[in-house]
Amino acid sequence: MTNLLNTTPGIADTRPAAASTKTVAVRARGLVKTYGSGPAAVKALDGADLVIHTGTFTAIMGPSGSGKSTLMHALAGLDVLDAGQVHIGDTDVTGLGERQRTLLRRDRFGFVFQSFNLLPALTAQENITLPLDLAGRRADPDWLARLVDTLGLRDRLGHRPSELSGGQQQRVAVARALVTRPEIVFADEPTGNLDTRHGQVLLSFLRDACDDLGQTIVMVTHDPLAAAHADRVVLLTDGRVIEEITDPTASAIADRMLQLDTDQHPNPHPRAGSGFGSGSGSIQEG
Amino acid sequence: MLRLVLKQTLAHRGRLLLTFAAITLGVTFVVGTLVLTDTSREVFDDQFCDASTEVDIVIRDAVAFDAAMGIEVERDPLNSRLAAHTATLPGVSRAIPVVKGTGLLIADGEAIVPAGPSMLTSWTGVDGFTLRDGHAPEQLDEVVIDAATATAHDITLGDTVRVQADSEADLRVVGLVGFGDADGLPDTTVALTSLATAQRLLRLGDGISQISVIAADGTATSEVADRLRAELGTDVDVAASQDTAAASAAAAKSQLGFITGALLALAGAALVIGAFLIANTFSVLVTQRTRELAVMRAAGATGRQVMTSILGEAAVLGIAGAVAGTGAGLVAATGLRALLDAAGATVPDGPTVLSARTLVVALAVGVVVTLIAAFGAARRAARVSPVMAMREGALGTAGGRGRIRAGVGLTLTAAGVAALSVGGATESMPALGAGTAALVAGLVALAPVVAPAVVHLIGRGLSAVTGRSVPAGLAREAARRAPRRTGATVMALALSLALVVFVSVVGASVRAALQSGFDEAITAELVVESARGEMLGGLEPATREKIEELDEVGTVSPLRFGHWKDSGATRALTALDPATIDDVTHVDMVEGSLTDLSDGRDGVVITERQAVERGRDVGDRLAMTFARTGTVQVPVVGLIDDDDAKALSTDYLVSLASYRDWFTERVDATLLVRPSSGTTLDQAQTALEDALEGMPTVEVRDQASAAEARTASLDGILTLITAVLMLTVLIAMLGITNTLALSIIERTRELGLLRAVGMTRRQLRTMIRTESLLIAVAGLLVGTTVGVATSALFVRAIAQGGDLHLQIPTTGLALVAAAALVVGIVGGLAPARRAARLEVLTAIHEQ
Ligand SMILES: Nc1ncnc2c1ncn2[C@@H]1O[C@H](COP(=O)(O)OP(=O)(O)OP(=O)(O)O)[C@@H](O)[C@H]1O
Ligand SMILES: [Mg+2]
Repeated sequence: MTNLLNTTPGIADTRPAAASTKTVAVRARGLVKTYGSGPAAVKALDGADLVIHTGTFTAIMGPSGSGKSTLMHALAGLDVLDAGQVHIGDTDVTGLGERQRTLLRRDRFGFVFQSFNLLPALTAQENITLPLDLAGRRADPDWLARLVDTLGLRDRLGHRPSELSGGQQQRVAVARALVTRPEIVFADEPTGNLDTRHGQVLLSFLRDACDDLGQTIVMVTHDPLAAAHADRVVLLTDGRVIEEITDPTASAIADRMLQLDTDQHPNPHPRAGSGFGSGSGSIQEG
Repeated sequence: MLRLVLKQTLAHRGRLLLTFAAITLGVTFVVGTLVLTDTSREVFDDQFCDASTEVDIVIRDAVAFDAAMGIEVERDPLNSRLAAHTATLPGVSRAIPVVKGTGLLIADGEAIVPAGPSMLTSWTGVDGFTLRDGHAPEQLDEVVIDAATATAHDITLGDTVRVQADSEADLRVVGLVGFGDADGLPDTTVALTSLATAQRLLRLGDGISQISVIAADGTATSEVADRLRAELGTDVDVAASQDTAAASAAAAKSQLGFITGALLALAGAALVIGAFLIANTFSVLVTQRTRELAVMRAAGATGRQVMTSILGEAAVLGIAGAVAGTGAGLVAATGLRALLDAAGATVPDGPTVLSARTLVVALAVGVVVTLIAAFGAARRAARVSPVMAMREGALGTAGGRGRIRAGVGLTLTAAGVAALSVGGATESMPALGAGTAALVAGLVALAPVVAPAVVHLIGRGLSAVTGRSVPAGLAREAARRAPRRTGATVMALALSLALVVFVSVVGASVRAALQSGFDEAITAELVVESARGEMLGGLEPATREKIEELDEVGTVSPLRFGHWKDSGATRALTALDPATIDDVTHVDMVEGSLTDLSDGRDGVVITERQAVERGRDVGDRLAMTFARTGTVQVPVVGLIDDDDAKALSTDYLVSLASYRDWFTERVDATLLVRPSSGTTLDQAQTALEDALEGMPTVEVRDQASAAEARTASLDGILTLITAVLMLTVLIAMLGITNTLALSIIERTRELGLLRAVGMTRRQLRTMIRTESLLIAVAGLLVGTTVGVATSALFVRAIAQGGDLHLQIPTTGLALVAAAALVVGIVGGLAPARRAARLEVLTAIHEQ
């Protein structure tokens, strides 16, 4: 497992200058999303702006409840916004209907979720090719083989998810996210359920996909170690992007986050949720 | 505990809705049947009891048996002088002569044809009828009718009505009667006249039907009866009126017995099919609640407590279903009555009777069926271990028990098939019954193994035709992944369709046999029959007299039916006129001829099959017991071909002359008519129709429609049964909807994921609908196979070597297939819509 990338010819461990191409992959402006109404209303997004360039690896961070998942869902066309605009390339996602958003997800995006990424009825192979099958297209055999080999799934293809370990399941999900050669891969805490070692393998793979193939990746995470794999970290608080860190290191992120948390929320966070910042050990009990 | 159970049931009410509907439907059916038959029975009891309250003893002509096939035999008239004599005997206060018969009421030229009898009776004042208006009939031209008929047909005192019996007369309405509290008798018209008028209309001369005796005050009825018996001899039958009333009611009720039996059997089928649905629901609920149950276990609940709580939920549901079903059953009774009416089986209507027994049965049925159906799931719930609280996982795929189940299923299925084959070969009905039961039980046990495989195969086949598609593939997989659920759903539909197929195949075969040979054996161009389809036929002698007078008619040959007892068993015979029968039929005789019945001595022609079975030949004697005469040793004078005998309806043929000796009945069942030479068929038919205009119940048919009409009552019953069976198909469809709806809840996250990675709503709908269709087609395949196989063997068995051939009704099967497809399509609609409405994000975040 650890030498996975070394033995793989396709993706070499070289890191080109980040964001060398300056094409815009995602442009989001003034995103607003409110849940509920009246005094109970929660503004999950409150005028968030964001630009993501093609071929970059972006990590979205922020305290629990800050709107990270909501932002990602908005970008990926999974959710409808109350205000604001999202452009994917030249496409205005906010103007699209339900069916077009579905096709957008199927053909131009890849997804990795924190858990429950796979259909239990399908084998690993079938899970990987699911978006293509839904579109009635065939997988490019070379590309599929490369993904499968790189992710070390070759001898697991016939297995169903219940017969795979958590790490293997997440790798199958990553393969699925990449199989369509999507414009953007969205990942919501993809390593949240994995131990550090398996998490690192997965992140290295994403890093390589970005470097070698120019894959655009947007990842939500709580883990500074994970975010350190990104070209850029976008910090979100109360539904707004408040800061960006380029070429981040884990300790820089951890420091910033800790500071942010104490700045913004001197009292324990009122909402239940996974405490953020496992690297900095800042889980607060209320 | 009870509060917890109630809370759980309420919390799941959405998921339990269809289950509740299934229980309710089943109970509705049971209650409807019981209410219907109780009501009708009560009507009979009341009718015969009220009629006998004032009378203590009834004297009638003695007969060897009272009733056959639910109809009371007719008795010879008594001499009216016997009434006068009886009145003089000690202990007798009054001896009232009574004439009873049938007399059609005609008002303003319109015959009043009730669904039941047209009663014509002499006025006695003691038979339960009480005057509501006017006075009793005194003059010869006076009549009293029941208030209900009068109201329904706008007849008032002073109007003239025609009463048509053996002869007819115009009579003035001088009174209206009710019966007990009611305005009349259900489905009946009543005409009460003076004794002399009734005698004249029924052409009884001096004869009377019975003597109603009222015992003197202070004497015991039984003593008086004994004395009368001793005095009057064995030619007459002296009976306590309570006993005759009970016997009459029993005879009338025995006809209801067939209907009750058939309806209850169908209700049972509906319940069994509903049970599959219930079982599925609880199985899904338990699976969905594995975590919750595990937490309960971890918190210290015993397995038994878990099981009790699940069964408690089932009981609550069963009680609710029973209560709702009882209410609906009261309404359903009316619907069933209408259905029976449409099928030509009229049951009398009266004040609705909801007996305590019905309530108990409804509750028991609802609760027991639900508990049994939920038992498997409850046991599985009890086995949930606390560890499962921590584990995401597959539950309910118990490998070892699955193998035991498959083994049991295979054994039962094999035993069933073996018993069916043996039963088919040896024509043994018990073996067939046992075989069918074993086969069904076996298939039910095998269902979780067989059904998903069948579904999968069909899915493959479908994909081969339509090309590979992910939604279809996923549908196939979903069906396979929940083998029990798929199995139960498929089997519920399969069983209901198998029943429809069975009825349709057996019906078509019997139908073909009934019609076969009719056109070859019956050469008469015209056939006159009663449209009401009375068991013994319903043509009054006047019908024949009218036809015989016509110039356009060459030959009229009547057929009559009668019942006799064959050492206890009731059999039917046909009486014919040997002088004219050859003009209107062409039958093959194996030995002798039909004219051998003619030469003034009694004899019987029997079918070749009966001859073989009984080991009788021409010249041997057959012991036949008739109500009028008792047992007679009748010589066999000829053997007739089995098929041709069918055209004449029975296996035993006698002459009309013998019939007159042995039977009191005088109605013709069929008149076979041949036009006179030089008259065309059309002319003859028009002449007949004109002549019979005043007899609305008489129908003139040409040969082809007569052949059709032979199966009319069978057709009615088949339609009724099929209509009712459609209810079970409906329940099976609810089962599909239920299963899919529940599985959508179970698969919410999966569906969300599918939508997230790009499955369109349309694809999602297609997936759910395909699953529904696959289940339906699997049900169709299994159901048709089982239905055709069992019915084929049954047909062979009831044929008993006779000429009943298996007919596979293509239209019938096409309809079954269409029904299955409709079930498949409609059953999936709601769940598909519901699945497509799922919000992607909510689905993903569902826990
Ligand atoms: N469906 C919903 N209904 C109501 N409120 C919601 C809903 N989804 C999210 N929210 C609220 O919106 C806010 C942002 O939620 P979001 O899931 O985007 O946070 P997050 O940054 O992803 O948090 P976490 O790190 O815990 O995953 C939170 O306050 C949350 O409670
Ligand atoms: Mg989140």
